[in-house]
Amino acid sequence: MARFDPYENNGGTCVAVAGADYCVVAADTRLSVGYSILSRDHSKIAQLADKCVLASSGFQGDIKALQKNLAAKELIYEHNHNKKMSCPAMAQLLSNTLYYKRFFPYYAFNVLGGLDSEGKGCVFTYDAVGSYERTGYSAQGTGSTLMMPVLDNQLKSPSPLLLPARVSSSSLEFELFNPLMVVFLTPLSESEAVDLVKDVFASATERDIYTGDRLEIVVINSSGTQREYIELRKD
Amino acid sequence: MVGKNCFAIASDRRLGVQLQTIATDFQRVFKIHDKLYIGLSGLGTDAQTLYQRLVFRHKLYQLREERDMKPETFASLVSAILYEKRFGPYFCQPVIAGLGEDNEPFICTMDCIGAKELAKDFVVSGTASESLYGACESMYKPNMEPEELFETVSQALMSSVDRDCLSGWGGYVLIV
Repeated sequence: MARFDPYENNGGTCVAVAGADYCVVAADTRLSVGYSILSRDHSKIAQLADKCVLASSGFQGDIKALQKNLAAKELIYEHNHNKKMSCPAMAQLLSNTLYYKRFFPYYAFNVLGGLDSEGKGCVFTYDAVGSYERTGYSAQGTGSTLMMPVLDNQLKSPSPLLLPARVSSSSLEFELFNPLMVVFLTPLSESEAVDLVKDVFASATERDIYTGDRLEIVVINSSGTQREYIELRKD
Repeated sequence: MVGKNCFAIASDRRLGVQLQTIATDFQRVFKIHDKLYIGLSGLGTDAQTLYQRLVFRHKLYQLREERDMKPETFASLVSAILYEKRFGPYFCQPVIAGLGEDNEPFICTMDCIGAKELAKDFVVSGTASESLYGACESMYKPNMEPEELFETVSQALMSSVDRDCLSGWGGYVLIV
């Protein structure tokens, strides 16, 4: 007897990489159901606050509901505190919102990217029920297992398990080489990070059937938010 | 992975039963003859039994034909042996690599019931296969010399097994 299944996996992959003064958030634009493609032009990236961007893959129905929920809570925060939510604050809110539905979860695999209150890049990675961690980079979605090893290989230092990251800016040296402060930053420049993201998506598109069509790249830095689109393989 | 007139075959060294590690020096890549190697991922006992059966068949072939088996022929042999057990299979996914006529590299992989998949660039199998696909796809270049091929395969293997809790405890890379 066929039971109603409340979930569906619409596929796709999301990536975010944090740098000294920027954050790159990227996701493909393919929406699939089973072996079919529903849309080649569906964005998985939502701007929650001016320095905070959420990329989510999984069940887009739950994702739309989650984004609406977060946008409403962000507006209430602005009304109560007379300022926009910072990225770390939004990170905590997202975790709490996801755990609230612990026993009927949002089927959403999220990556939150943006700038923290000091202007440094931050990336937060989540599971479906709200467990989260600040890292230097992360990938979630159907292509994540293909991308993470390559990102590890190119960006290993931002992992909190290893030595602190090297960054070109001398003012950050004290913070970085002080073993008491673990810093979650990538030692790459903004253009190098964007090129790396394009490369990993090209590789994942080859081997993951749910990833492809087009890549949407959002870069958040001190001058604001820039969006770029790159064509990917459509097969 | 295929290089310029050479190939690399690599595996990790862990043998485990779910969360427990039994061995950290388990051999998964076996020699058939000087220019033909097979890697077997999956159930340890099936990997060893299958290797013993294949070596037996190859030795008989050598006695009858007075020469070594070509990689393509060997791949067909492995496929047939696996399909014989179609309804009670060996729980192994082989990866076959060899040098054929004129030292032309040959690689292929199969599922546990013998469906052959030839490739020109690289083949992967095992619990970390998805990670390996991503890493190899990003790092592979055609016509790599043996030294560069070694570096590439090692980096791809190490990065991929580091993201898989059931693989690891070192790697073994062979260049021919």
